Order: sequence, then structure tokens, then C-alpha cells
Amino acid sequence: MDWPLEWAPPDRRVLPTTRGRTRRGPAARATAFAALLLALPLLAGCQPPRGGDSLVVATKSRIDSLDPVQASRIGVMQVLSGLGDPLYAIDASGRIEPRLATALPLLSPDGRRARIPLRQGVLFHDGTRFDAEAMAFSLRRFMAIGTLGYQLSSRVTAVRVTAPHEIELVLQRPFSPLPRLLSAIFLTPVSPTAYRRHRDRPLNDRFVGTGPYVLAFFGDQQQRLVPWSRYWGRRPANGGIDLVTLSNSTALFGALRSGEVDLLLSSGLEIDHQQALHRDAAAGRLREAVGPSQEISLVSLLSDQPPLNRPDLRQAVARSLDRATIVRRVTLGLRSPQRQLVPPDLPGSDPTAWPAYDPAAARALYRRAGYCGGRVLTLPLTYRSDIPTDRLFALTWQAQLRRDLGDCVKLEVSGMESTTAYSQLDKGALTMLFYDWIGDYPDAENFLMPLLSCSKAVGYRCLEGNSVLGGTFWTAPGLEEELQRSSQLDGPERIALLVAIQRRVAAASPYVPVWLSAPVAWGQPGVSRPRFDGSGRVLLGELRRLHAAAAARVP
Amino acid sequence: MSRRSDLARYLASRLALAPVMLWLIASLVFLLLRVAPGDPIDALLGTRAPEAARAALRAQLGLDLPLPEQYGRFLGHLLRGDLGTSLTNGEPVTGIIQASLPASLELGVVALLLAAVVGLAVGFSGIARPEGRIDLAGRLYGISTYALPPFWAAMVVQLVFSVWLGWLPVGGRFPATLMPPEGTGFYLLDSLRAGDWGQLVGSLRHLVLPAATLGLLLSGIFTNALRLNLRRALGSDYVEAARSRGLSERRVVLHHALPNALLPVLTITGITVASLIGGALLIEVTYSWPGIAFRLQEAIAQRDYPVVQGIVVVVAALVVLVTVLVDLLVALLDPRIRF
Repeated sequence: MDWPLEWAPPDRRVLPTTRGRTRRGPAARATAFAALLLALPLLAGCQPPRGGDSLVVATKSRIDSLDPVQASRIGVMQVLSGLGDPLYAIDASGRIEPRLATALPLLSPDGRRARIPLRQGVLFHDGTRFDAEAMAFSLRRFMAIGTLGYQLSSRVTAVRVTAPHEIELVLQRPFSPLPRLLSAIFLTPVSPTAYRRHRDRPLNDRFVGTGPYVLAFFGDQQQRLVPWSRYWGRRPANGGIDLVTLSNSTALFGALRSGEVDLLLSSGLEIDHQQALHRDAAAGRLREAVGPSQEISLVSLLSDQPPLNRPDLRQAVARSLDRATIVRRVTLGLRSPQRQLVPPDLPGSDPTAWPAYDPAAARALYRRAGYCGGRVLTLPLTYRSDIPTDRLFALTWQAQLRRDLGDCVKLEVSGMESTTAYSQLDKGALTMLFYDWIGDYPDAENFLMPLLSCSKAVGYRCLEGNSVLGGTFWTAPGLEEELQRSSQLDGPERIALLVAIQRRVAAASPYVPVWLSAPVAWGQPGVSRPRFDGSGRVLLGELRRLHAAAAARVP
Repeated sequence: MSRRSDLARYLASRLALAPVMLWLIASLVFLLLRVAPGDPIDALLGTRAPEAARAALRAQLGLDLPLPEQYGRFLGHLLRGDLGTSLTNGEPVTGIIQASLPASLELGVVALLLAAVVGLAVGFSGIARPEGRIDLAGRLYGISTYALPPFWAAMVVQLVFSVWLGWLPVGGRFPATLMPPEGTGFYLLDSLRAGDWGQLVGSLRHLVLPAATLGLLLSGIFTNALRLNLRRALGSDYVEAARSRGLSERRVVLHHALPNALLPVLTITGITVASLIGGALLIEVTYSWPGIAFRLQEAIAQRDYPVVQGIVVVVAALVVLVTVLVDLLVALLDPRIRF
């Protein structure tokens, strides 16, 4: 093939003449321009070969480490889900199924020790055997140096090897969501042989685990996964996955539209682009799949300082939010209004915990507090300025309040960069902040504790704990005990307690839930419809290229 | 005193001042990062991690030390050429810079060449008939490319050539389905050395849009600079003298006016190179080009202090080096320069 690298005729230059006109100028310019125009499509025509069965998956999350001890972002978790196996997995219907474990944890009578039988015949990618020692090595390493190590070390005091294929976790206190916590992909085991020299420091550019794929190439913008030939489970349906990171929404959108990538994950994609892809999917030009949500957007209300230290005013604010209108206008209907702190797919959710939009009731509450009819309550609402949807939310809610309750309440909106806003929250500097919370594993406990837990309190005022970090400073007598008890109970009793906790919090409204974001994936028609697991990750191993006839039948 | 010794003295003073300047820049960045709101622990752990976990990580990263001690450590390491390790993944900062700098330099050099060729050609083309149609078009080109917002231009180019026409990739530095070439980190060079046409074309395809966008945006600077200086040179006494000696207009322009007009352009090139090293941020972000400016932006967002400090110090050192080299080159080319 001749590459169009030398297109410029070297002997035709534009030179001025003594008469002030150009000699061969127009011809030379036309040739050069034509050559340039010619070169671009020729270069464009030189598409790199696409591996037959391998697929290109694009996401916004840049990956600078594949060590599970460093994992905290969605993109890394997605890649790790292809490279590693968790002890337990949560399927699309929310059921827990053993993966590297062979059964659910067997608890001691006091609930403080959990024995986990492990699968035999599993090999790491370096050919070494997976056993209890390897699992214990990985869990201890995670607790020691893991970015999210506290998730385990705050609940587990020791990891013991009780048999060649059985471990025992010694718990600080009974913890019923243990299997759900152990479904977190950042607890995937790694080969003790490969990580021997990285026992106390991360190994960023390699991953040696037990998953269906082996890491064939690692770059911070590109990773290649190829099927692991000695995988213990079902082999991937594709010939490999090439993961690429594109830094902005336009690039991601364009990459899918132009056919450059086979699958696109919604994380980091702006609402306009999501809507355009949603329309394409509705028109049969793409395949779309929606996963279970783990992300809740909410407004924190600073509850220990005037004016929002009054519960009736917080109740009024909670009733002043027209979620349906705001979600329709801001997220173009792509997110769902949310009136609880727990995602609806999880046990313990209560879809109507918070009061619905009720301007009449809100007006009555504002009036009782001395507002309306000449006196307007001004509330400063801060939004994260680096997230476009947040600004739209703030402006839309401001306009909605002006329209519906303008004589009672007024929002003063201002933007603040995320990192700065988070650092101001626990200082009590933000009366109201709109932000989101993403659970690290799918359980109600992982949504309630991080937002409500309080280790030191005076009455309804939290002095230390997650409630302070969440910017509300709110707690209630006995709430912490209820939260702790909820993670020790199981079954209907636990669900009833979780619902009761949410109702209690809703009555005080230190937070106002706004909407729920679900992960979405869009695939080309020539690729099978993507499926999500219960943790919100695309099942990479199930993706496959379709034959032309099947590809034409996009439902 | 001879001109050569003047030049040597000038060079010595610039080189002696360079470490002082780098120290000032490094100290300023160190202080500004600490004064700026935001906490790397929040970026790493999120805001809900227990205080014990936050304190442990703070101690592990040395962020619990008093500020003067942190500063002392930073300077001590800097003097030994150690830029520290990233807070986010524990990688040495020198490694991160080594990985991302070639991408920026490759993009910058190609864009600069393109800018110089196109910009100078356009600037030169109108000189035969000042205020004529071609000259006016050149002036318009110079002003408009200079004034275009880079992110907007980049997104339009991306939209047209990648999304609508599907000719070239929307972003990234290399095709996802190929293995990047190994070697210096300059993919064009590495793939040429390896003789791998697939890799070369893959690199070129990804380079074309960002380099063309950046090059065209910069070309206006060259157009305007050459146009103005050439017109000034053509009106000068030595050009009149050359004409009066009966030299052809072509010889007058190419041998007398153009070399003199190009000297200020060379200085502008130096400044542009310096700004390109760290200034192509919007282009790198739009095209997902994994260069040093892109990395710097990410590090700032994550409050990854050592990476921000390291990149700023290295970029500052390169800027100093380039400006000194340009000064020297101009001095060598123009015997009238005095120091």
C-alpha cells in the first residue's frame, strides 16, 4: 500500500515576481490544496484492522492503576470485573451467588465469625493455585494498604486460614450484609506469588487474578484483555476486550456514533449525549441497556444552624421540590425522581419515604415559621460547578421555587468546584449542597451509614461522624444504635428496621433526595445487547459480535 | 569587550539565574497548592471515609507533617532530582512525566511545523500586492485563527472529521486494537524505527486532527508576524539600497527583506514553543491526548501535589531552556544584537 506521506510537489513554490504577480502561484496552490484534500481521505481510509471477535469498549474513567488496593473509581471496577472474580456476585435480579466461594458464609452462633468455603481448581493468571492462603493474603493486603481498606478493616479484625480451601473472618460485631460487602470487586484475590514484592505497595500496571480475562496490555488510556484459557468458569463469548479512555463526553459520543467503538459506558457522558444515544436506541440504530443504580443525588441541609435548624423549615424545603418537573427538564427524563436514600433495587428501600412535592403544605409550613406574605426565606444553595447537570438542577429548582413559592422562599445559587465543596461540607460552611453518593457495594447499609452515622452527638446535633462529613450535622437520639442494629439483623426484621430508619430521617429531612442515576451502556447493532450485573457493571464476558442477520434485528 | 565574551556572559547569567527561577516557581506552586481549598485525602478516599482511615492515609503520604517540614523535604528531594511519587497511585513523578512529555512534544513539534509552514506561507503570499485581495485574505486568516477559541475549534473539527465524516479518530493517541510502539515514547519515531507501517499510520491518524487544529490556531501568529515584519523590512533603507543597485525584486525580497523579517518570527517561535509545552491543554483534553498538560489538569483536580509540582518544575525548566536557546540563536544570526 502506498501511504500518502509525501504529497507536496517540491518544485512548485509560490514566489513573487518583479511585476508583483505570482508565477505559477494559482496552479501550485491548487495542487497543494488538492493534495491536502486527497491526503486526508486516504489517511482516513487506512483504518487499523479490527480483531474479528474482540470488541472495543469506551469509557471516560482514566485508569492509572489496576491494583485492587487502589480501586475506588467506577472505570477501574469495571475493568477489574473482567480480570478478577469476587467471592460472591450479585446477579441482575439482586440475588447473591457464590463465585470464588462455594457457599454463603457460615456464621458462628454469636455472629462474630464467618467461615467461607472456597472453590477448588481455580488458577491465577500466572498459573499458581488459588486457595485460602491466597485469599487471606489478598484480604489482609487490602486492609493494610487499600484505598477503601476501611470498608473491610472497620468490620473485620482478622482473616484466618482454617483449611486449605476455607477462610474465617473475625468480625468486630455481627454484620449481616457481609456477602454483599464481599461481592465488591476490589476484594478480588490476587496471586501471592506475583504480588510478593508488592505486599505493602501497589502494583499498578499489572493484574494477576483469577478472572475470565488476562491483562495483555496496560496503558493509562488503553487496556487489552484477552480470554484466560484456563479459566475455571464459563469462557468469554468474545475474543477479547480493548478498553479505551476518552476524556470528554463529545469524544465518547462521537466514537460510538462513528463506529470507532463497539460499546460505550454512560459514566461521564453528558445528558444531551445520553439523550441522543437513547433516541438512536429507540430508533433501532443502537442497543441500549440500563443497569441497577448505585448513585443517588441529594441536597444536604445544614441542620444545626439557622435557618435550617428548624425541622418544620426542612420539611417545607423537602415539600418544595418538584422532582418530576426538574428531572424532566434537567435530565431530560433519563433519571428517575427519588424520595429515599436507598436505591429501589435494594432490600430495605422505601420509595415514598420522603414527602412528595406539595406546594400547599410547604406554604403552610413556611407560613408557620413566619415567612410568606412579605417575608421571604433566602436559602443559599451550592452546586458543584464542574458538573454541568448540577448547575442546571440549581437553576431549575430556583426557577421552580420562584414560580410556585416565590413569596415564601428564594434560592441563591452559587457554584463551587467539587473538591472545594467537599472540603467545606464538614466545616458547616454550606447551608445546602447538591451532590451525589455512590455506594461501594449494593446494600442499604452502604447508603445509610455513610450519610447518617454519628459517633459523637449532643441531642440532635452530631459533633463527629459521617453526618458531619455529609454536611447536615444531624442525628437523633438512638439513631446510631438503630443503624448499627440494622447491619446485624437479617431478613424481614432488617428490612422493617431499614424502612423505619428512613421514615425517621425523612421526617427530619436533613437530606432531600432528588434523583437516581443508573448506569447505561450503548452498543453497536452488530454487538449483542449488553447486560449488567447487580453491582452495576457490564458483563464483559457475555458481549459478542453478531452475524449480519442477527445484527439487523435490533429490537 | 568583544561580542563573543558578551554573549558568554549573557549565557552564564541566564544559566545562573535558572535555578533561582526554578526554586521560586517550585516554592510558589508548593505554597499555592497548600493554600488552595481541597484535600487530596478527599480525592482519594471520598468524604465518607472514617477519620482513622483518613488520618492513616495522611500520615502514610506525609501530609500530616508541618508545612515547613513538607517544604524542606520537597526541596531536598528536588535538589537530588527526585520529584516524589504520585499521591494517587504511588508512581514516581519522573516516570509519569517521562510517559506523558513525549506525547506533548510530538504533538507540539508537528503542530508548530504545520503552523510555521502554513502561517509563513499565508503571511508571505500577500506581500506581492500589499492591501490586495490575497493580502487582505491573509490578514483575515491571521486574525481569525488567532482569535478562535481553541476548545470550540477543536470540537468543530472533531465533529466534522470524526463524527460526521468518520475519516479520523475522535481522540486518543493510538488505535485501541493495536499495540503502541515501544521505545522513546514518540510514536511516529518509534513506529518508523520499527518499520511498522500499521503503527505509523495508526499514530498519524490520531495525530492529524489535534496537530492540525493546534497548528492552524497557531499559524495566525506566524502570518501576522511575518506580514508585518516583511512590510516593515520592504520599506527600509537597506531594501531601497538593494533596489537601487538594480537587484531583481525576487532577490530583494528573498535575500534582503525576508531574512531580516524572519528574525522577530524566530523569537515568536521560541515563545510559542515555550507556551506549547504546557499550554496545549484544551487541545489535549478535547482530543483525549495523553500529554503533560492533560496530566497536569487531572493532577490538579485530584490535588495530587507531587505530580503538579513535578510537572510545573519540568515545564518551567524547559521554558527556560528554550528561551535561552532562542536568544542564542537570534544572537548568532543577527550580528547587531548586543547584550
